[in-house]
Amino acid sequence: MKLKFFDANVFIGRPHNGQFGSVSTSEQLVQEMDKQGISKAIVWHIFQYEGSIVEGNRMLTEEISKSERLYGCWTILPPQTQEIIKDDFFKKMKENKIVCVNAFPEWHRFVLDNVAFEHFLVELSERKIPLFLTMGRTCITWEGLYRLMKEFPLLTCVLCDIGIWGVDRYTWPLLEKFENFYLESSQLSLEEGGIEATVRRFGSERIVFGTGFPVQYQKAAILQLTHADISDRDKENIASKNLERILQKEQL
Amino acid sequence: MSDLWKEFLEKGKSEGCPVYDMHGHMGSYSRIYFPFGDFDPDIMKHRLDRTGIKMLVFCSHWTLFSPDIGNKANIVVVRKLPDRLRAYCGLNPNYPEIIEKDVEEFEKYRDVFVGFKLLADYHRKPISDDAYKPAWKYADKNGLIVLLHTWGSSPFNGPEQVRIVAERYPGAKILMGHSCHGEWDKTIKLIKDFPNVYAELCAVVDDRGGLEQIIDAVGSSQIVFGTDWPWFNHHYYIGAVLDSGISDEDAHNIFHRNAEKLLAALV
Repeated sequence: MKLKFFDANVFIGRPHNGQFGSVSTSEQLVQEMDKQGISKAIVWHIFQYEGSIVEGNRMLTEEISKSERLYGCWTILPPQTQEIIKDDFFKKMKENKIVCVNAFPEWHRFVLDNVAFEHFLVELSERKIPLFLTMGRTCITWEGLYRLMKEFPLLTCVLCDIGIWGVDRYTWPLLEKFENFYLESSQLSLEEGGIEATVRRFGSERIVFGTGFPVQYQKAAILQLTHADISDRDKENIASKNLERILQKEQL
Repeated sequence: MSDLWKEFLEKGKSEGCPVYDMHGHMGSYSRIYFPFGDFDPDIMKHRLDRTGIKMLVFCSHWTLFSPDIGNKANIVVVRKLPDRLRAYCGLNPNYPEIIEKDVEEFEKYRDVFVGFKLLADYHRKPISDDAYKPAWKYADKNGLIVLLHTWGSSPFNGPEQVRIVAERYPGAKILMGHSCHGEWDKTIKLIKDFPNVYAELCAVVDDRGGLEQIIDAVGSSQIVFGTDWPWFNHHYYIGAVLDSGISDEDAHNIFHRNAEKLLAALV
């Protein structure tokens, strides 16, 4: 079957230590998506992680403004420093086609908990705006993630790059306990039977498609999902419908 | 769009391009949950059929991590699905007496084994250690396959250690499992220097760039496909290889032709 893909896990920009096949511009990214038949993507800029969060968010905003197929993900910092989160934060998100936020607390040296983020994460939860976290770079520990979800149980959270080795022992308790907790599929696809087992246990609604581009191969995730031992409806949910539904629920 | 990619995307497999997975495992392992860890011949056959895997060559986790169980874990499984499975006789250098016994009995299990498997990073003795010598000499003399776990910078199975055994045992067909991961320049040099040394792709294609570098430097005639099954998914890995920009001819070499040559006298 031919699936419509909405990629939840893509970065733009060239990392300072190099990355094979990375792209600098939205035009290049869209070309890569066209090669693979990927229709839309949520994108962040690598400079949001490696360099300046403020400038990285700005560079991202500029790039995604050039394509209606690209949506943005801004990186957040503790509201107290007012570097990123200011009174008009959500208004600015809407104006700039930013549909979600991400955070790298371990790398950017802060604690993602209710001491620093109580009001903000309560509002994020109420507005149903997804927070994207990753296990693929220095971001958050499993203990930190468990603590965060316990403190904000209604938070819409999408966990990306879940791990090269299967991590079901970590993720299944979170899927069981928190109804708005989702897995991005790129490395779940890597695990033999990972998609099938997770769908059997929790349904297909809890997984959103991602490729991990440019670090990972797009065709890998596409081929795995296309031929997974799950129903066509489940495949469509994962490929694009779940992410569409998450974004339709958000109130910006 | 390449013809092979088109066929794999449409059907999940290719009639003209069977796939040999030269690096698999079997059975549960304490540090991870495997949805398909427990061997069931029917499920196994289904998982192989749907991806067009003609043969999986493996060594059981239980063999590698329990000298009390040893190679019987491999023998039992292969004999339940002999058309699709072969095994590597697993070696643990911390028990040299078991290695000697396994080498002595190797001929009894020619229907099961195509060679040996070394997991030196985990067993903490280098692949050139004397404890392995009976197996290396036997593989050298009989043209057997030796699948090594290799990793860049490892003192136990890094590229320097591979060089030692490749020089010492030119008759053995040495598969560098994980291709000395991360030290691709040394992987390339080993392939150039030794016709009996092959790159194996498990973990190589987790990230983009490594396979492209190896192919650009040495072509595809000494590269074989492997996945660490049941760790990693066959379709994921096939898609990754086909997304690396290689030609369909190179893909045929990697997926089956090179393995068919290696296994020709052994299966």
